[in-house]
Amino acid sequence: MTGPPGTAGPAIESYLAEIAAGLTGPAGARRDILAELAAGVADAADAHRRTGLDPAVAAGAAIDEFGPPERVAAGFRAELAAAQARRTALTLMTVGPLTGIVWITAAVTSHVGRLAPPWEWAGLPADARLTTYLAGLPLVAAIGSILFTVAATGRLTRWLPSRPAVAAAVAAISLAAVDVVMLAALAILGATTPGRLAAFPLAAAGAASLARLGMAARAVRDCVSLDAVCPRVGG
Amino acid sequence: MRGQALKGHLDGMLLAALENGPRHGYAIMESLRAGSDGQFDLPTGTIYPALRRLERAGLVHTTWSEEGGRRRRVYELTAGGRRTLDEERHAWAEFSAAVTALLGPQPRPATPRPVTP
Repeated sequence: MTGPPGTAGPAIESYLAEIAAGLTGPAGARRDILAELAAGVADAADAHRRTGLDPAVAAGAAIDEFGPPERVAAGFRAELAAAQARRTALTLMTVGPLTGIVWITAAVTSHVGRLAPPWEWAGLPADARLTTYLAGLPLVAAIGSILFTVAATGRLTRWLPSRPAVAAAVAAISLAAVDVVMLAALAILGATTPGRLAAFPLAAAGAASLARLGMAARAVRDCVSLDAVCPRVGG
Repeated sequence: MRGQALKGHLDGMLLAALENGPRHGYAIMESLRAGSDGQFDLPTGTIYPALRRLERAGLVHTTWSEEGGRRRRVYELTAGGRRTLDEERHAWAEFSAAVTALLGPQPRPATPRPVTP
């Protein structure tokens, strides 16, 4: 990928490996960055060779021109954090509504005997409406931060604040809060109305929420760790 | 000339380097170096991430091209990129005119001073 055999040379290979070691973030983005740098350094080495330098000296000059590997890697950190943030937001945007559909289906079909929305279930506590608010608020927060992250890592990237990974983490935490509320509601429902609800659809909804919780936890970890290593403007 | 002063105009200069057609990263860097008479010798670390940011912003479009066994990412201005380049150019013209008015070479005195032996 770096060029015809023999053009890269051991010095350039190990230089690129050092840069690779300094990059963290989505694998696809890292691969792209390294492929582009490999071609760039090879082009630089070619340019130096054309001025009459021998290949080893030309490779060294190309490496000097690109700068210390840790500095090159550091330059990409904000981009990798943005790539991670965007990926997280787009994943949540897909998984979010899917989990919602599973819950709505479960709610409608789990009433034994007939199809009925959850608020018509017999034996449901009167203050079950509280669940709607408790889950609704973080849901609105999640949708807002997902949309913000997509905008801040896309078209509006030059105008919006430069820490989209934080917004993506907020989105994942908000969605996790929705799941916690729903799982708690499910547990309460199971305890207070034993035998009155069909177990399978509700179990499926619970499993979907548990899976999404695990995903959100990983997303928060990835986004926060990438944001933490980003160079700060003026810092 | 380096650092902050240059960084504020990097986007515009990168877009300008693509004005006459698509280029890959190293060619963009060479064009900045040659176009500025060697004044802008930027470390690569700043150019490639800036190009990725312009891509996210929809100002450039990239494709991979393979030539001589080397895979290169080729950058091309989008319609939005051309518009932004015009804006940056306009903003720079206004700013530099103002700075030149204040900082430019001292105007000659209206009447030449008499030469004293």
